[in-house]
Amino acid sequence: MTEEKKTNDRFATKRQLVWFFLDGCKKYFLASVFFAGCVSLLDLINPRIIGYTVDAVLNDGTYELPAVLERWIASIGGPAVIRENLWWIALIVISVGIAGALCRFMWRFCNTKAAESLVQRMRNTLFEHILHLPYAWHSENHTGDIIQRCTSDVDTVKMFLSEQLTSLVRISVLIVLALYFMFQIHVRLAFLSLAFIPIIISYSYIFHRKISGAFRHADEEEGRLSAIAQENLTGVRVVRAFGRESYERERFEKKNTEYTNMWVRLMRILSTFWATSDIFSGLQIMTVTAVGAVFTVHGEMSAGDYIAFISYNAMLTWPVRMLGRVISNLSRAGISIERIRYIMNSPAESDRPGAVEAPMDKDIVFDHVTYQYDNGSGDILKDVSFTVPAGTTFGILGGTGSGKSTLMYLMDRLYDLPEENGTITIGGVDIRNMKADWVRSQIGMVLQEPYLFSRTLSENIRIAAQDAGMPEIRNAARIASLDESIERFQDGYETYVGERGVTLSGGQKQRTAIAQMLIRKPPIMVFDDSLSAVDAETDAKIRAAIHENSGESTVILIAHRLTTLMHADHIIVLDRGKIAEEGTHEELLKGNGIYRRIYDLQTMQENREEE
Amino acid sequence: MDKKEKTVSLPWFGIPRLFPYIKKYRKKLILMAVLGIGASLLDSIMPLFNRYVLDHFVAENTLDTLGVFISLYIAAILIKVACDFTSTYTGGKVEMSVNRDLRNASFRHLQTLSFSYFNQNNVGYIHARVMSDTGRIGEMVSWGMMDIIWNGAYLLCVILVMISVNARLAMYVLVLLPAAVALISFFQKKLIRYNRRIREINSTITSDFNEGITGARSIKTMVIEDTIRNDFEKDTGEMFATSVKTGRVSALFSSSITLMSALVLAVVMWRGGNLTMENVMRIGTLSVFMSYALGMIEPIQGLIQTMSNLIAIQVNIERFTNLMNTVSDVADRPDVIEKYGDTFHPKKENWEPLIGDVEFKDVSFMYPDGNEMVLEHFDLKVPHGTNAAIVGETGAGKSTLVNLVCRFFEPTDGQVLIDGIDARERSQLWLHSNIGYVLQTPHLFSGTVRDNLRYGKPDATDEEIMEALKLVSADFVLDKMDKGLDSEVGEGGDMLSTGEKQLLSFARAILADPRILVLDEATSSIDTVTEKAIQDAIKKVIKGRTSFMIAHRLSTVVDADIILVVRDGKIIERGKHNELMKKHGYYYSLYTRQFENMAADLV
Repeated sequence: MTEEKKTNDRFATKRQLVWFFLDGCKKYFLASVFFAGCVSLLDLINPRIIGYTVDAVLNDGTYELPAVLERWIASIGGPAVIRENLWWIALIVISVGIAGALCRFMWRFCNTKAAESLVQRMRNTLFEHILHLPYAWHSENHTGDIIQRCTSDVDTVKMFLSEQLTSLVRISVLIVLALYFMFQIHVRLAFLSLAFIPIIISYSYIFHRKISGAFRHADEEEGRLSAIAQENLTGVRVVRAFGRESYERERFEKKNTEYTNMWVRLMRILSTFWATSDIFSGLQIMTVTAVGAVFTVHGEMSAGDYIAFISYNAMLTWPVRMLGRVISNLSRAGISIERIRYIMNSPAESDRPGAVEAPMDKDIVFDHVTYQYDNGSGDILKDVSFTVPAGTTFGILGGTGSGKSTLMYLMDRLYDLPEENGTITIGGVDIRNMKADWVRSQIGMVLQEPYLFSRTLSENIRIAAQDAGMPEIRNAARIASLDESIERFQDGYETYVGERGVTLSGGQKQRTAIAQMLIRKPPIMVFDDSLSAVDAETDAKIRAAIHENSGESTVILIAHRLTTLMHADHIIVLDRGKIAEEGTHEELLKGNGIYRRIYDLQTMQENREEE
Repeated sequence: MDKKEKTVSLPWFGIPRLFPYIKKYRKKLILMAVLGIGASLLDSIMPLFNRYVLDHFVAENTLDTLGVFISLYIAAILIKVACDFTSTYTGGKVEMSVNRDLRNASFRHLQTLSFSYFNQNNVGYIHARVMSDTGRIGEMVSWGMMDIIWNGAYLLCVILVMISVNARLAMYVLVLLPAAVALISFFQKKLIRYNRRIREINSTITSDFNEGITGARSIKTMVIEDTIRNDFEKDTGEMFATSVKTGRVSALFSSSITLMSALVLAVVMWRGGNLTMENVMRIGTLSVFMSYALGMIEPIQGLIQTMSNLIAIQVNIERFTNLMNTVSDVADRPDVIEKYGDTFHPKKENWEPLIGDVEFKDVSFMYPDGNEMVLEHFDLKVPHGTNAAIVGETGAGKSTLVNLVCRFFEPTDGQVLIDGIDARERSQLWLHSNIGYVLQTPHLFSGTVRDNLRYGKPDATDEEIMEALKLVSADFVLDKMDKGLDSEVGEGGDMLSTGEKQLLSFARAILADPRILVLDEATSSIDTVTEKAIQDAIKKVIKGRTSFMIAHRLSTVVDADIILVVRDGKIIERGKHNELMKKHGYYYSLYTRQFENMAADLV
């Protein structure tokens, strides 16, 4: 899954990366941790007030308080006065409540602000970095995996820093302070209470470590079940046509039962865990209550002390149980950070020092170009040399896997040609010495499987020419024979395409991509089998229109369909990475080679007609 | 598609609609409820142990009943844990079982629905009905109920205990309750709205990532990194603003709950303190009230949360029951089912062999979601062994005839006869078991090559499989796979090229040895050599069968016994190739146009 290769050391450690992302939101995190501590402290004041009230006010006894408070109470007349005006206590409780509410608000607010700034920074940085990673990186890594790193891993890190880390701090502060107060009240009882804590924490920790694998497994099973449903629905025609409904049903129900049983097992484990830790916590509370009672009866502590102690102890129950879980989640966050680090450490594209923006309306020369992809499939291009004279139309014919698209990807700098594997020059300048963005902006490429963005049609057409107005958009659409289709849509140029809009047919997508390219008026235009999905008539119409409008541009056509190529000034036939034949349409027909054979296959019908 | 979440309102939150599915678990649900109430009861009386310590042990300075006290306490803990354990485990089991049943029911029902349902709803939508609605409903049925019982019973017990211990102080506390309820509902409502918006933006951001990554090649070739990034930052900016706003509301929420608790505590200490001093109440009772004051807010919050979940879940219930109530518009008559069996219980012993004569008799047809007749009084005889081709431009409606032959749809008027008998007189499964279908976009299932080829004939031997592969010259596909027939084809067959998938689906159709074969020719770009292999395969496959071929390249239909030419959904010409060419009609113009450029060049 993680072939962590070809990364640099921009972020040598996980901590460096986290520190980088935290830039700008550290102060909010600090504030959040501070206020979280305050909340814990304020939460712990109430039992003291209760204790004082019970002992000093209601029971007329004594209760240990900090000297400042003792003096203050004495100055207003001692416990007796408070007894007369019990609403003072109510007022103090409410004041503490208000302070607690304020701190809680600040804590939660700072925390959200910190978490959201962090996540925004992470997303933006990742997105921008990914945009600038070389195309080779994109083809090596699985889309689903990268998206997962950018979404769920980012969320895991956010959760870790904003929820888990602050609750770790808060819980620790709470435990320490509560224990401190408890020790002040009664040392032996506090030791007794403390004795249970490591047991509960480690039990919860070990359990959550173990169970996380089971959860992952359950998720995978759900994925499988979901895939069966998905396949059944997309293949509904096949299922029906073969009359295999019963089989499909059995298949689904079998997996469904397996998945369900797995969850039931998981539920049993979880319930057992909850029950067991309930018993632990219950026994702890019971022990403290009973032993506390004995100490109180023996006069070692007062009733107020007893109530305060029990309250502190109760406050510990949940945080202690949470702590084990929080700790077990730490490792998960570590894995996520590592997965994000892999992306951030993949080197982005960069230009050579002194890269130029050379004029591109010149001859394109491929000189002894050899290329192979990293996947070990051998040379895809073998010593290919040819020249595309400026301003001409150039045709490339080749079967699947002949390397024709690779030629164009190399020219567009989508892949970088290693130094020793030949050169590609435009106007005599090696494209490796030009700025990559410049080369790409000057070459208009229409891809075989064009990608449309989920925006309106007009936004899609002008996506690479932001300042183009409606007239230019219409003109480009007209040349690409797209205008008629667009007018048939209810919303015309404002029709939303992609995920949330209408789905365009293959031919309409290709024509949109052509319009997208034409509007840029690039000096080099490449059509990579980009008319395959339109019918022959439209194909001819588009080619004629482009021919009229291409002006001085150099046009490179790649196709299977000979009718698309035959008007080119020069055609090369690529076979398994080598140029097998070249010449004009007429010359190649005479040649009796691959071109001739494909021609015969494609015109078989024509010949039959003449017989 | 349906990113905007909506709410509907049904009587009793739509729960009655689920009765048929939860009936089976009645006993378990009752057990769950009883034990849940038991657990809440014990939970609510726990503070009474403290009261006993203070009012008995401490106040009377004795330890006389300590042994009984500890035993009772331990017993209470154990009983409570046992109740909790059993009710949670039962709850989980019910949740999972209901989920499973709902998924099975919906999946099973989908297998019987006609194509008009699948045409009107996209796969993602239907998939969500089977996988996610069912899950949410199951969760609600068991945990929703559990939450209401736990929290409701706890609150009720607490109130009862408070009243019985000291009614006057209880009144002071109860006065504050409505305020707490109002406060919590106010925030809850607000948060639901904000959180919905956050989920919407979140899915936008995920699709942005998707676009930035899957569209990498286009983004690079067009050099639009900055445009794409700006749009992305707009979305993350909105996410930030909305989340911070939501964070503020939820921070306000939790701090007002803190305040609420403090208020209750203050009242208890003030009024309760006075009562204690007047010797109406003892300190132990006061401590019970103080525990309740702090512990009451949470169950109220839980109850309100559950109520809002119940409101939200109605959409899922409605969608699910709508699916289950959808009646297939192509269904076998009861007497047909009686004789031939239904989808899941075929009576194969009564099936007649199918010969393959197909006849359209005065057929008129309109799609269920259409508003225009696409066939009117259409007559056509396709005797067995005939090869019928259907041609026309993309989107002209070439699939209509095939849909009728396969009985994916039924004629609005008139009859489709199979071997001279109305197709409706026999079961769908009988017909489908005799039909082979090769799709334009070939669909393979994840699994091995063997699994896929056997799809139409589960008992096919390896020899038969290899024979079928050879017949369509698809055996070369196996050569490049390292495990032969055991090689995995990947999800949807994505480890193979389109051409290879096409060839395998031919072999699959052949293996089933159907009497009627439907072929939908591929339009996608397959290189010329593979295309030739497919053309040859077609010729071999259709020999001796009744076949319907939807063709895009006219070169493939010249040999057809009859060509049907479709334009704007209607059949406008029919005949053999030569007849149609002589006619100089629409077919002639379609045909010549495909070779126009070539012809011009040759002259």
